[in-house]
Amino acid sequence: MQPAKNVKMYARNLDFYYGDFKALHDVNLDFGENEVTALIGPSGCGKSTFLRCLNRMNDLIPISRVEGAILLDGDDIYAPRVDVVQLRRRVGMVFQKPNPFPKTIFENVAYGLRVNGVRDKQYIAARVEESLQRAALWDEVKDRLHSSALGLSGGQQQRLCIARALAVEPEILLMDEPASALDPIATQKIEELIHILKKNYTIIIVTHSMQQAARVSDITAFFYMGKLIETGETEIMFTRPKNKQTEDYITGRFG
Amino acid sequence: MDNHFQKEIEELRLKVLEMAAYTEKALVQANQAYAERDTDLAQQVIDNDYAINSLECDIDNLSLKLLALAQPVAQDLRIIVGIMRLIVNLERIGDEAVNIAERSLILAHRPPLSYNPTLEELAKVSLEMLRNALTAFKDEDTDAAQRVCDMDARADELDVSVIKKLIDHMLKESPAIERSVHTILISRSLERIADLSTNIAECVIFIVKGVNIKHRCSRI
Repeated sequence: MQPAKNVKMYARNLDFYYGDFKALHDVNLDFGENEVTALIGPSGCGKSTFLRCLNRMNDLIPISRVEGAILLDGDDIYAPRVDVVQLRRRVGMVFQKPNPFPKTIFENVAYGLRVNGVRDKQYIAARVEESLQRAALWDEVKDRLHSSALGLSGGQQQRLCIARALAVEPEILLMDEPASALDPIATQKIEELIHILKKNYTIIIVTHSMQQAARVSDITAFFYMGKLIETGETEIMFTRPKNKQTEDYITGRFG
Repeated sequence: MDNHFQKEIEELRLKVLEMAAYTEKALVQANQAYAERDTDLAQQVIDNDYAINSLECDIDNLSLKLLALAQPVAQDLRIIVGIMRLIVNLERIGDEAVNIAERSLILAHRPPLSYNPTLEELAKVSLEMLRNALTAFKDEDTDAAQRVCDMDARADELDVSVIKKLIDHMLKESPAIERSVHTILISRSLERIADLSTNIAECVIFIVKGVNIKHRCSRI
């Protein structure tokens, strides 16, 4: 049994609506500091919607509405005075498909810093190198930092996106199926990276791969039809889950 | 509707039940060969052990294939890991039946002991434990499995009693030493079969409930 971790972020009685459609029902979930939490469940179960609530990405959808609360270090991220840009700096995101900007490798990583008003070239160069190293990409790109990011392989592009997210020094990293478009070797690199990154970051990952959830996460949360059905230590969830729906889903007996 | 993987799990379970039937038959015949001094039956137990061994290999290979290819979790993972543990115990019970048959062959060519320790009760208890453990596996019945675990102390008692009586007998009649030793070894095999049946019952509890009660690792 692992000792209880400090809770970095938590959702309380969270409901989410797309217009009249209620996509999330009363979700209560804690995220421990420096833990990896995997959100699993069938397509349409609300796991990605929930992930996007955590850095208010859903604000971009005009008809959406949130009820309940999400607290980061004790502060409600949906409070009126919250600066969403600042929130997204603290809660970074990596998407399913690598989406580098059509710029150089260096500029991709420096982008967030520049948007945040950083002008110090030496500082930017140091942050770019550190971020690329943390994303386990530095050795592969250090001699071509000023080449186009679009020339990188898919796996390298995804690690570049992780480096880009890390450059602005987030505290939480949200990953929405970060390896689903990658080959097994690139997937393994991303998974190894998650193991390393959790020393410094709290990571929340949505994945459709049960094996990936089992390999990378400390905690697994199972969603079904907008509800959080069961959450617990990944080892327990994949050996003796308590809930029949969880058991049926992870063993492929669903439906 | 069962998917392809669940059909393979069912196939695996059926193979275990087939191996169980061979093993149970070997024990029944070995006990009978000893009790009736039947050398043909004893030889049959020895000759048929290959079937149990061969099924163990088949089940092992199928389990390994399912672990590698299907990457099972939860109840599917537990049943495969549980079966891999279970068949090791089943195969050893087959070996113990062979040991009993081999001793019975030797004893059948010697005059009967003037003191007959009657292994009947121990043979009955160990066979009952094996049968109940296998039924518990077939029915996924943890209560029945727990009752098998609880019977083990009785088998230990009976074994100790047989050994004590035969040691006394050997002290009185030295020409009976060789036959007594063979008889003690049969008693020891029956006691081991009770232990191995307990292990099978523990596997059933692991498969169904996901708790490991071996060596009191955790309690239900």
